Amino acid sequence: MTRGYHDIGGASAGEIPIVELPWLQWEKQVEAIRNVLGDGTRRMMSLDELRRGFESFGEEKYRSYSFYRRRLEAMLDILIEKGVFTREEYEAAVAEARAQWEPAPECAP
Amino acid sequence: MTHDGHEHDHDHGHDHGHEPHEPLVVEDEAGNIEGQIRVAALQALLVARNLVAPQEVRREIERIEAPGVHLGAKIVARAWTDAAYKARLLDNGKSAAAELGIGVGEAQLIVVENDEATHNLVCCTLCSCYPRSILGQPPAWYISKAYRARVVREPRAVLKEFGLELPVAMRVVVHDSNADMRYLVLPQRPEGTQAMDEAALAELVTRDCMIGVAVLPAA
Amino acid sequence: MRAMRPRFDAGDKVRVLDLGKPGHVRTPFYVRHHVGTVLHRAGMFLNPEDLAIGRVCGPVVPLYRVGFAMTELWPDYDGPADDMVAIEIYDHWLAAAEPPPAP
Repeated sequence: MTRGYHDIGGASAGEIPIVELPWLQWEKQVEAIRNVLGDGTRRMMSLDELRRGFESFGEEKYRSYSFYRRRLEAMLDILIEKGVFTREEYEAAVAEARAQWEPAPECAP
Repeated sequence: MTHDGHEHDHDHGHDHGHEPHEPLVVEDEAGNIEGQIRVAALQALLVARNLVAPQEVRREIERIEAPGVHLGAKIVARAWTDAAYKARLLDNGKSAAAELGIGVGEAQLIVVENDEATHNLVCCTLCSCYPRSILGQPPAWYISKAYRARVVREPRAVLKEFGLELPVAMRVVVHDSNADMRYLVLPQRPEGTQAMDEAALAELVTRDCMIGVAVLPAA
Repeated sequence: MRAMRPRFDAGDKVRVLDLGKPGHVRTPFYVRHHVGTVLHRAGMFLNPEDLAIGRVCGPVVPLYRVGFAMTELWPDYDGPADDMVAIEIYDHWLAAAEPPPAP
């Protein structure tokens, strides 16, 4: 039984990065969607399911993703596992969303 | 694999002075745009399947934006000025918070009191559990690997990095919020505040002293 | 809903088991095998190991707050002997600690 990469109590680590960061809108949206999916009427995703998601998607992802990106990707994995949508459907939705975020064309001089 | 064997795989010595700094993982601008696109795509799919309504997400964002240090400060200031309230708070944090109109969404709230003999400190080694209903989102350092890993092993060294050196005679108790409880530190009321009323006292209370990485200076 | 009765109470010496469970668990490695003291009962909760796989209907299990001396967890701990960690452990991860050997 190996120790999960998230289970780090007592591990060696360097100095505490004592910094404050703003909470961004997309990060709030990630948190809000998880809360709504987990609420008393839906009960579609518990916090422990979300944790299972990021505890099992691999150390590589865990170490390279930021806190809310981890939660977002874990939520996607769990919803795909539950059959709410497929990976392909999700990627299609990403392509559509990306189209709405195209950078503005260069302004004419 | 045994516990010990695995520990040795990952513990590159105990010389805490010479370890690589664990970077805080943050998104760059492109990463934030990617996050925005991916969460927008998720919401679009959930809305298309009638599982979530956009206004529910907006309402939930408003709800999670609302808590902050002011709520914790209100609880602390009341406890400092009302002994009966303090007793109820230490007995059941959730119901005492509710008395002040503060709803605790997490399962339970345990309030731990600092005094001359004991200093309390809160962490979550497994993820990032934090009394969000009261203090809002945890600071970046609270969810950093370095804080989560080291605070249960060398709390005094960690506190020193925050500028807090505790006397050896004072016991340190580290609360790992690993399951259904969330923790709030009730700091000691600073010296020289006898004349202050509850509202003025609340102004003194900081987030860091309610996590336990700071104490309040004398007024 | 089925419910277990709590087996331990404040003051009991307990040892944290290493159940070797795969998947999502909330008992960190750093307390496994170690002996601590039950500080108090913390209520009855759904088992996170069930919740993690979408089982939201119970049973509920007793939860305790358990205190561990830093010197028990970390043999090289160089701070005061009464420094401690307080952590939450579900009933099934605990066993009564053997009484200490006679002096």
